[in-house]
Amino acid sequence: MKKRILAATLAAVMVGGLLAGCGSSDKKSGSSKDSAKDGGKATLRFIDVSPSPERQKYYENAFAKFEEETGVAVKYESVPWDDAADKLTVLGTSGQLPDVITTHPLWLGQFTEADWVIPIDDYVEENGDQFVDAVQKINWAQEKERYGHVYSVPDGFMVKGIFYRKDWVEEIGYDIPTGDDWTYDAYFDLIKALTDKDQKRYGNSFRGARGAFDPLLAYLQSFTGGYVFDEEGNFILNTPECVEAVEKWCEIYKDGYVPEDSVNWGFVEMVDNFTGGLTGTLSNDSEVAKACEEKMDASKWGVLPMPVSTVDGKMMNTAGSPYSYTIAKSSEYPEESLQLIDFLVRADNNIEYCKMGGLIPIKKDVGDDATYGEDGPYAVFLDELNDPNFTVPPMYGPFNYTDLHQDMFHTELQKYLLGQQSAEDVLTHIGDELTTRMKQYLADNEGSTIETPKTMQ
Amino acid sequence: MKKKMEPWLFLLPVLVILLLLFGYPLINSIIMAFQNYKLTAPNDIHFNGLDNFAKLMGDPDALMIIKNSFIYVIVSVLGQFLLGMTLAVALKKQFKGRGIYQSIVFLPWAFSGFVVGLIFRWSFNGEYGVVNNLLDKLGLIDKNIAWLGTPGFSLAVVIIAMIWMGIPFFAIMILAALQSIPTDVYEAADVDGCGTVRQFFQITLPYIKPTLITTILLRTIWIFNSLDLVVIITDGGPANTSQTLPAYMYSKAFGSYDFGFAAALGVILMIILGVYAMVFLKATKYDKAGDF
Repeated sequence: MKKRILAATLAAVMVGGLLAGCGSSDKKSGSSKDSAKDGGKATLRFIDVSPSPERQKYYENAFAKFEEETGVAVKYESVPWDDAADKLTVLGTSGQLPDVITTHPLWLGQFTEADWVIPIDDYVEENGDQFVDAVQKINWAQEKERYGHVYSVPDGFMVKGIFYRKDWVEEIGYDIPTGDDWTYDAYFDLIKALTDKDQKRYGNSFRGARGAFDPLLAYLQSFTGGYVFDEEGNFILNTPECVEAVEKWCEIYKDGYVPEDSVNWGFVEMVDNFTGGLTGTLSNDSEVAKACEEKMDASKWGVLPMPVSTVDGKMMNTAGSPYSYTIAKSSEYPEESLQLIDFLVRADNNIEYCKMGGLIPIKKDVGDDATYGEDGPYAVFLDELNDPNFTVPPMYGPFNYTDLHQDMFHTELQKYLLGQQSAEDVLTHIGDELTTRMKQYLADNEGSTIETPKTMQ
Repeated sequence: MKKKMEPWLFLLPVLVILLLLFGYPLINSIIMAFQNYKLTAPNDIHFNGLDNFAKLMGDPDALMIIKNSFIYVIVSVLGQFLLGMTLAVALKKQFKGRGIYQSIVFLPWAFSGFVVGLIFRWSFNGEYGVVNNLLDKLGLIDKNIAWLGTPGFSLAVVIIAMIWMGIPFFAIMILAALQSIPTDVYEAADVDGCGTVRQFFQITLPYIKPTLITTILLRTIWIFNSLDLVVIITDGGPANTSQTLPAYMYSKAFGSYDFGFAAALGVILMIILGVYAMVFLKATKYDKAGDF
């Protein structure tokens, strides 16, 4: 009997606990209630899908400023990145999405198809000129082409550039070519000129390990206008020109203009050895500038634009935005929401935001900001985003290539660097695999075509 | 009947835990080895027969990786055994400061593989490494050697790190066995006019044989399975020339997300080690070791 009473008590406690648990979660969802008029004023809900203490602080400060200026209050909500897609889907389905949503580029298809977000074409029409050309001609043009309307405003850009040792260049009195003369050949010449092994100086932070093929891909694409495949899905980066390009690319390793160890270097080693003073150039995303700022004296480093093609003068680059801002269709305050987005991408706020993650602001006018202004180290990135030759080629293909990126791409290149196979072998092996996957993709997805490079024209 | 069941009931909790923590993953990984199981295509998981094994056979680097694995294990175990044995014999006799000396030389065993990996990666760095610096000062090299960027050398660095890390384990085990040999056996041998060398082979070795067999068996399996040093020091590079089977398995599972292929590698590893353990125990007559 005693046992039974004990069991019953335990069960009651457990059920009680469960109910209490439900109760608290109910309360929680109750507190994040829909946007509401607060004493006659609107209160917007904003959701961040990549929260960090730094980002939360930025947003809360910005929202306080926004309320001061407009009288509209904004409530900051966040969801950890790992659960973000699921949570937003649940909120979207139940019509409870916050007014302004930080949206990952990959979600926009789902959001527009489900009719969860509203178009902002009028805003774009009216204010488009203030934004860098890449936003208008690449991001928005692409959105319009895919979804019929423009729905989002990007938060910033990740662009590629060549980081270089300004002090070394000045020391040897080297004249770096500009404009159409700044080609890959000119880049290799700079690498060779900066190498001085007696002073323990190498020309470049060469990438031999994971990700080694990515910068090389952009170089190869400069011979084909950005294309990787022909219309039938055949890999086209294996022409004699491309084979020669691979040889030139690796020559700087084989001839000793980069450290021999760099056959094993990944992103971390590249950056460490550049900021540490062993290498003179480094080709990578604008985020590296943050590491340079932290570890190097401002007089020692600078940024050059990506080299242009000798064939058509195009500059192969990337223009990725980590997130963009969208407005929920369920919002009661679409106008105030748009006002908030406009406020967040206003030069001063956007600059502050971009500085957190080494991003490039999306508006042309950055004033005389120490970082992005004309004399700032990031000015080159902004110039790139307004350059008519700026081109965003597709990557390896629309199919999944993670396994190749983690293994085959750099292993094939390493084998050439170590003299175990020819440059032609590298492109044949990689090309065969990519052709197989591309053809399979085209067969599986009827009506799909080869992705075209995005240009500013 | 009730009496018969009783021991099983007592064993039940342990059996359940073993089954859950070892049995389930083991069986699951064997099943996975026959599946197309890629995390990059989670909607396309299906049985594919022997495809994963065929893929390994068709892998142009497979032979090299298997060869690397054997070189890595054999040289590491041999090096650890010889140096560990030497250390144990040296530490057997009482001398001043033995305690401090012993704790210092046993220290590497207390380090995590990650730390050891980083120490060696930096020591053998082609540009800033202390090894090149020392060799240069000794006049042995006139140009820096890219230890981690040169095929052959990169695997050698991993082996040196593994030997360095594992010597103390051998030394501890052998020293404990040495200290358990009764001294009167040696005294009797002395009286009979038996020399030191003969004493070592006729008395010391037979006495410590069970310990040696267990230690070598355990270390071989551990080293064969270990991937931390390879992953941290060279990540198998350059061009897979320092890749070993378990490190390759790791890179396939957590780099390429091809769990099916990785599981196939795991099954092969398991078979190799199972056969090794049986042959080794049989060949060394483990059952009879220590009988006089």
